Amino acid sequence: MDGPSPTTDPLRNEFGSLNDLAHELASLQDLALRGSWRSILDKVSRARSLDLLSKPHDHLIYLSYNVLALTKLRRFTDASAEIDSLHDFNSHQYKYESYPQLYPSRSGSMVPFSLRFIHAQLPFKLENRQEGLDRFYLLLSFIRQKIKEKGSNSFQESIKIWRKRENFVLHCLIGHHLGAKDFIVCLDLIRDLIDHDYLDPVLISKLGYIQMQVGDIEGAKGSFHRVETMFNEGKNDGYSSLSEVEFRNLVNRNKALIYLVGKDYVSAVREYEECIERDHTDVVAVNNKALCLMYLRDLSDSIKVLENSLERVPTVALNETLVINLCSMYELAHVNHSEIKRTLSNWIAGVAPDDFDASCTRA
Amino acid sequence: MSTAPQGSHSLAFRVMRLCKPSFHVEPPFRLDPADLFVGEDNFDDPLAAANLPPLLSTQLSKSMDSSNLTYGNRFHLHHPSDAMGFSGLLLLPQSFGAIYLGETFCSYISINNSSNVEVRDIIIKAEIQTERQRILLLDTSKSPVESIRAGGRYDFIVEHDVKELGAHTLVCTALYIDNDGERKYLPQFFKFVVANPLSVRTKETTYLEACIENHTKTNLYMDQVEFEPAPHWSATVLKPDELHPADSSSTGEIFKPPILIRSGGGIHNYLYQLKFASPDSAQMKVEGTNILGKLQITWRKNLGEPGRLQTQQILGAPISRKEIELQILEIPSLINLDKSFSVHLNLTNYTDRELGPFEVWLSKDSVHEEKNVMINGLQIMALPQVGAFGSSDFHLNLIATKLGIQKISGVTVFDTIEKKTFDPLPDMEIFVESD
Repeated sequence: MDGPSPTTDPLRNEFGSLNDLAHELASLQDLALRGSWRSILDKVSRARSLDLLSKPHDHLIYLSYNVLALTKLRRFTDASAEIDSLHDFNSHQYKYESYPQLYPSRSGSMVPFSLRFIHAQLPFKLENRQEGLDRFYLLLSFIRQKIKEKGSNSFQESIKIWRKRENFVLHCLIGHHLGAKDFIVCLDLIRDLIDHDYLDPVLISKLGYIQMQVGDIEGAKGSFHRVETMFNEGKNDGYSSLSEVEFRNLVNRNKALIYLVGKDYVSAVREYEECIERDHTDVVAVNNKALCLMYLRDLSDSIKVLENSLERVPTVALNETLVINLCSMYELAHVNHSEIKRTLSNWIAGVAPDDFDASCTRA
Repeated sequence: MSTAPQGSHSLAFRVMRLCKPSFHVEPPFRLDPADLFVGEDNFDDPLAAANLPPLLSTQLSKSMDSSNLTYGNRFHLHHPSDAMGFSGLLLLPQSFGAIYLGETFCSYISINNSSNVEVRDIIIKAEIQTERQRILLLDTSKSPVESIRAGGRYDFIVEHDVKELGAHTLVCTALYIDNDGERKYLPQFFKFVVANPLSVRTKETTYLEACIENHTKTNLYMDQVEFEPAPHWSATVLKPDELHPADSSSTGEIFKPPILIRSGGGIHNYLYQLKFASPDSAQMKVEGTNILGKLQITWRKNLGEPGRLQTQQILGAPISRKEIELQILEIPSLINLDKSFSVHLNLTNYTDRELGPFEVWLSKDSVHEEKNVMINGLQIMALPQVGAFGSSDFHLNLIATKLGIQKISGVTVFDTIEKKTFDPLPDMEIFVESD
């Protein structure tokens, strides 16, 4: 190496801000956080046509945002086509060392890992579940291979990141198997994680939800009891770091579910109210409390609970499931429910991000 | 599902089936910033490894801060298990769904006054009408609802244990006085069909194998399946060895794998060993019906929604009056092609009188199968009488005309006096070797 280069100049921190990582990344990120996915498509298109992206990694990051935006807008075929345009993630043209002038001291893949994930998940949205599963399991072996390689080079931070990705993919797989009702596979995958000392109270709670979904109430109680013990013993593994409020609410919500299943809706409501008192943005508690009120024959209050949360904390409460529940309640409470649903739709249109699926109002 | 009432009414019924809600699950497209802002191998670089994490965590906490009014929760992962898309959010039942025998039908019923005038003295009734009966679920005749204001509602929840198959109708009626002082009658009908959730097939020797098949559209969790034997029997359930042996590992305490029967035709078999409850019940073998007992099945669906059924009495094979029994005692271990071999048989007389004399032969009942094993010599063997409760040993000389696995089939016994042919012996396999 001759002369000071950007990477060794102590006066220039290559990682000071988002814009150091990629061209106008801060702006892309800001749009993404607001859910302005259409604006992202515009920005990427503009950057490409005006040739503003000078480096290979800029192109890849912009492509990632573009693919993500298309996915969020439910344009799955377009997203798939764009990813496929890369042909092969492992190609040398996506490696840092192929451009020694641009990345003098760097080697390895510059492909953002998100692209691999989106590539695996898209087939599910294109009615090709088997392809999706195959891609996820292949991705899992790819990750495990990477962990081995990094291990032999002792890249500690890198290993940490890849292990995080391993857990991420495992969780995705559990979700997909759950969606397809492959309950035994889900239970086995979770059991595997727990047996390897991945003791995340949220995961163990979700194990309980799966047991409950299946009908194994005693099993669910066992799982929830374990979570409560972890809370009482102050245990919280390194992976998940729940805040105290989050942990308490988790325990309360688990209790509420047991009451709900036993048809003791009054006690369930009480547990959820404790959660909401502690954290009014606990949307799961809000939504589920509303359902319990309905099972208690109090349709009016169940509607109020959901409407209030939308008004009070829209960016947290606005999700498709909550809206579907609210609309089901409207349909029951009003003979002529189209008007009230239209009011809701209009309000949503003014507030929702681009990726919100408005068809959930059935208006 | 509802038939519209005729004439104009201020009131209308709205009905929603209240089976248990379900958990919403949908794996989302949510990412970790580290997987988006930089290349996947970026962290190999020690500079990146040191400087990126703080930048990333600032980004993450910014996105999760609800006071920021962003939709970061739809974009970034707050917690690793967010990737599952299974937060514990419950979803109300979105359709009536299927309903099965043994379940409990539960419904939210709302009577709405969609007019702009008040109605008074409302007598509300809800009944279930089936082919056989009419079951009253709710009746406010003794204390009518005083009034329902314009735009108001009166709600109730009804429950009914479903015990009949076929067409059911939920009949909701309201008798009320409208604003003109007129007495009005509003009937509304909601139809549904109750189907059979399971079929149980049994097979028995001294073991009872019950095969339960799931005809519903959801998986069923077998909460309890118990065989209640008839008085003179005792039953023990036979279970296979555990795939993951019970250990003291972390998961061993949490759960044992549930028994789940897949929807739409999945099956699960249960095996029971039946024994006579006491030595003297052996004498109770009554000719004709042989009642073994009943199966009690309790299942759970979504969020523990229960259902239960009991089978009819399960019958064992009718006890034939076994008069004689023919058994093969011994077959030589080496059987050569085209060489005569001797099979040792025994005939036992279970009656209290002398039977026989008998004839024994190999029947030619299977038309399409060649007989590769035949009697060597006289095709019919004569056996003398066998005394009451006695038995007699004899040998059959057989010869095999083909190599490999062959069958000794159709060994038949004929009582020459009573002119009775007994069922042939079940096929016996032998291996024929060359010389």
